[in-house]
Amino acid sequence: MESKVEPEKKEKSWEPRILAILCRWCSYAGADLTGSSRISYPPNVRILRVPCSGRVDPLFILKALRLGLDGVLVSGCHPGDCHYTAGNYNARRKFVILSRLLEYVGIDPRRVQFSWVSASEGDKFAKIVSGVVADAKALGPNHIFRGEFLDPPAPSPSRPNQ
Amino acid sequence: MPEFTPEQIKEELTAIAAKLLDEGKVDYFLAYERGTVPFKTTPLIARKKEDLQRVWVEDYFAPNLSVYLKEIRGRIGIVVKGCDSRSLVSLIKEDQIKREDFHVVGISCPGQIDLRKLAKAAACEPEELEEIVRKGSEVLVRANGQEKTLPKPQALLDKCLRCRYPKPLIFDTLLPGEYVAPVDLENPGGTDPATFLKDELRGKPFPERWAFWAQQFERCIRCYACRNVCPACFCPRCIVEENLPQWVSPLPTRGDNFVFHLMRLMHVTGTCTSCGECERICPMGIPLMKLNEKMTDDLKELFDFMAGVDLEKPLPLRTYRQEDPNDFIR
Repeated sequence: MESKVEPEKKEKSWEPRILAILCRWCSYAGADLTGSSRISYPPNVRILRVPCSGRVDPLFILKALRLGLDGVLVSGCHPGDCHYTAGNYNARRKFVILSRLLEYVGIDPRRVQFSWVSASEGDKFAKIVSGVVADAKALGPNHIFRGEFLDPPAPSPSRPNQ
Repeated sequence: MPEFTPEQIKEELTAIAAKLLDEGKVDYFLAYERGTVPFKTTPLIARKKEDLQRVWVEDYFAPNLSVYLKEIRGRIGIVVKGCDSRSLVSLIKEDQIKREDFHVVGISCPGQIDLRKLAKAAACEPEELEEIVRKGSEVLVRANGQEKTLPKPQALLDKCLRCRYPKPLIFDTLLPGEYVAPVDLENPGGTDPATFLKDELRGKPFPERWAFWAQQFERCIRCYACRNVCPACFCPRCIVEENLPQWVSPLPTRGDNFVFHLMRLMHVTGTCTSCGECERICPMGIPLMKLNEKMTDDLKELFDFMAGVDLEKPLPLRTYRQEDPNDFIR
């Protein structure tokens, strides 16, 4: 299979794969604006659109880490701007508990990051993505689950969540 | 202070249960009976008066009976220790059970013996323990012809050392007994109170913490005993058994165990009362309470929430405040 690249070769050309989970109303539109404003940002992110940051189940984040993605970015509307009034407030409580738990079991907090990006903040989105990618590069590949008798299937570039 | 013998307590409990069953106020009565293994108790689900002969209150009644409430339908009488009553409060708040369906009988608890701790102290397997005797603030253990006397903190379950609610928070009837915490936190005896419950792992750097937890997650055999015994785990279909899509592989790999354990924690956030059943039941001895305690402490610190003590306060993940922590978000 083509995905079976030699380990050394893979290391040399290694680029982090980031999953960005974006809310449909603000951050996804913000990412769209980044593109239409011709602001460039690293192509390492794969975007998953969700209706609201409140839709983000902690399971999505954990599963992404388990599949070997090198970083996860979750982004939604600024507090007070949620299309559904309070989705992001509720999400924030889940995220703070999750991020503290991940930190406690020894996952670097730079692997899983959260942000608020509004539909007008195209430049902020580019900045945040560059930051997340730089962090992932500094941390190196996500080898948390490497060396197991059953390695997770390598996510293909077009379908990062598969 | 008047002393109560287990016989007195047992008599009283049997009388209450018999009356409830007789009058048809409850369909079942949940209590403890003597286990088939030494120093262990088995839950007793009494349907008729005769079953009550098997009631056992002597000692070692560790199981948290509230886990059965979501499975048994009908009106139920139940025996609870102080800590178990918190699970009841949690389940009522989660709309899993209705308060009026239960007759709650509170029982005093002298602190539950941790067989693993004793076995370790006596340098033997838990099955080889021959005798356990409580003597005031100490516990005497005999195994392989040797005797050892241990101070309470070294003989009781960790959750008992943290005991803050020795008296049930909700009850209809309270059995006679002494409702005091088994260990005085200010003066635990023989151990420094500042360090004896501290989780040293929290101060360590990331790689060390991951090294520890990776090893623990690797040992998990995914028997799901921790989930089955947990009163706070009540999803009709568990996420780990979901197969369309399959979120977590059933294979006990380190990665899937990591997802399972963290997900289990996220699901019980706000409902988990640190009853310690998951850790007690774990056949591999994984220190799950370290994770639960971390989550519990975070809830206390961030949202000033303690699970299972207040019927009015909303669950932490079902509410929010505008001034919730936001500094971790970019």
